[in-house]
Amino acid sequence: MLKSNYTISTTIFRVLIYIFLIALLVVTIVPIWLLIVNATRSTVEIQQGISMFPSTHLLDNYNILLSKGLKIGRGFGNSLFLAGTTTVISVYFSLLTAYGVVVYEFKGKEIFNNFIVVLVMIPMQLSIIGFYQYMSRLGLTDNYLALILPSIASAGTVFFAKQYLESMVIHDLIDAARIDGASELGIFHRIMFPLAIPGAATMGIFAFVFSWNNFFTPFILITSLDKYTLPMLVKTLQGDVYRTEYGAIYLGLAMTIVPIIIIYAIFSRYIVSGIAMGAIKE
Amino acid sequence: MKLINRKKYYGYLFIAPFIIGFLLFGLYPVYNTLALSFTNTTLMVREGSFVGLDNFKRLFADNFFMKAVGNTWLIWLMNFVPQIGIAMLLSVWFTSQRLRLKGVGVWRALFFLPNLLMPAAIAGLFFSLFSYYGPINQFVVRAGFLEEAMHFLQNVPVTRGLVVFIQWWMWFGQTIIILMAGMTSIPIPLYEAAMVDGASGWQMFRRITLPLLKPILVYIFVTSLVGGMQLFDIPYLLTDGRGSPQSSILTNNILMYSKFASSKGHIGAASSVGVLVFIMTTICALSIFYFLRDKDASKERKEAKKRQALLRKVRRDENA
Repeated sequence: MLKSNYTISTTIFRVLIYIFLIALLVVTIVPIWLLIVNATRSTVEIQQGISMFPSTHLLDNYNILLSKGLKIGRGFGNSLFLAGTTTVISVYFSLLTAYGVVVYEFKGKEIFNNFIVVLVMIPMQLSIIGFYQYMSRLGLTDNYLALILPSIASAGTVFFAKQYLESMVIHDLIDAARIDGASELGIFHRIMFPLAIPGAATMGIFAFVFSWNNFFTPFILITSLDKYTLPMLVKTLQGDVYRTEYGAIYLGLAMTIVPIIIIYAIFSRYIVSGIAMGAIKE
Repeated sequence: MKLINRKKYYGYLFIAPFIIGFLLFGLYPVYNTLALSFTNTTLMVREGSFVGLDNFKRLFADNFFMKAVGNTWLIWLMNFVPQIGIAMLLSVWFTSQRLRLKGVGVWRALFFLPNLLMPAAIAGLFFSLFSYYGPINQFVVRAGFLEEAMHFLQNVPVTRGLVVFIQWWMWFGQTIIILMAGMTSIPIPLYEAAMVDGASGWQMFRRITLPLLKPILVYIFVTSLVGGMQLFDIPYLLTDGRGSPQSSILTNNILMYSKFASSKGHIGAASSVGVLVFIMTTICALSIFYFLRDKDASKERKEAKKRQALLRKVRRDENA
C-alpha cells in the first residue's frame, strides 16, 4: 500500500516536471523558430500575424536584402574567413603550448599553469582601449591582422587543451618515438596531433563560435564597410532603410544563426561535454 | 623520466609562441590601457598629458557612471538568481535516480542552444519582436491583453526586463550542463548511505549535494560575474546604443564605448572606465573566493604542498 502510494506520487511529480520542461522548451525555442519562419515570410504575411509555419518568400526576402545594398554575402565570407583563421591558429598554438606544459618538466611550469588560469579571468574591457590605440600606432586598425594575431595566445583554449592532453598523453609512446629518432616537434606534429583530433575539434568549435559571434572587437577595430563582419551588418539591419522590410530583416538575422544551429546539430555531443570539461577539474 | 629530463629546454620552446603572443597582444594592451587611464589622451592627439587620477575622480562624480555600474549590477543579479535557481532545480531532477526522466541529454542540449547564437542577432530578433508593429504587439492586442499597441522599448521596466530575460535565456542552459557535471561526479554511495539513515531528498541535497558542489558554484558565480560586468552586445543593440530609455540599460561597457566613440574619442577617459570596472570586478570575485573557500580543504592543500616540497627535497638529496 505504502509502496504504491510512493510510485503514484512519483508518477504525478514526473508528469508535472515534463509539463514544466515543455513550457521551458517553448520559451527557449519559440523565439528562434519565429526568426527562422519569419525569414521565409513576406512582410505582408508577417504583418498579418504570428505563424509557426514557413512560407515561400525566402528568395524574395534575399533579393530585398541585396537590393538595399547590404553585402550580406560579403559579410558572411568575412566572418567565415576570420572565424576560420582564428580557429586554426588558436587551436594549433594552444595544443603546442599545452603539449609543452604536459610533456616536459621545466622550471616555472607551476607558475605558468597558474598564470593561464588568471589570464582566462582577465576581462576584455581591461585591454581593448589600449589594444585599439596600440594597433592604430602600428597602422593595423581596419586590418584583420589585429583580429587574427591575438589568437596565438588564447588562454581559455590553452586551459582546455592542457586538461585534454593530461587525460590522453601516453609518455611511453613519446619515448618510443624518441628512440626511433623522431624530433620533438616531429613527435608533436606526427604522433600527438592526430591523436588529439577529437579534443582539437571541441576546442575548434568553441573558438569558431566565439569568433563568429564576436561583435565588440571588430566593431571597435574595423571601419571600412567591405570588411564588416556579420554581427556588424546585423547592426545596420536596424537602420532606417530596412524599417519596413520585416521579412528581409528576419532573413538577415537568420543567416547569422542558422550556420551555428547546423554546427550544433552535428556536434552537440562534443559541445556539451566541452562545456562540462571546462568547469570540472578546477 | 630520464629521457624527458634531458629534453628540459624543449618545454620553453613549446610555450615560447604563446608567451610572445601574450606579451605583444595580451600584456602590452593591458599596460597601455592602464597607462592611458592616467592621461587625457584623445584620438585627435597622439600623446595626451598625464593627469593623475583626474579621470577616476571625474567618473566618481559622474551620474552616468554611477548609473551604468548600478544598471550592470542590477541586470546581472536579476538574471543570475533565477538562472542558478532554475538550473539547480533542473539539474537535481535530471540527475535524480528516483525520477529517471527520459531524454535528459536532449532536453539539456535544447536548453543550451540559445547560448551559442550570436548576441547581436538575438538583440536584433527581440528588437523586431517587441517593436511597435512587431508580432508581440499584434498578439497582445488581438488576444485582448492590451487595448492598443505599446512602445515596449520605450518603457523602462519592460526594456530592462527584456535584457534580463535574454541574459537568463542565453545562460541557464550552460549552468545546467556545469551543475550536472558537478552533481554526477559526486559518489552515489554517499546518497545510498544517507538513504539507509532515512534522510529526505531535501536533506540529501542540503547536506551532500550543496557542500560538494561548492567549487563548481564558485566557478559559475565568478565566471558569470566577470561576464555580466562586460555586458554590451544585447543592451547596445536592443535600443539606440546609448542605454535608452532613460539610460535604463546603460551598462559599463556601453559607457566605455560611448567615451571611446565620442566626437573627440576620449580614450583616456574610456580606459579609466575599463580599469575601474576591472578593479571592482576583481574585488568582488576575490571576496567570493575568500568567503566561499573550503576552510578544511585549503588547510589540507597547504599540508599536501608542504609534504610535496619535502618529498622533492628528499629526492633532490638522493640524486645529489
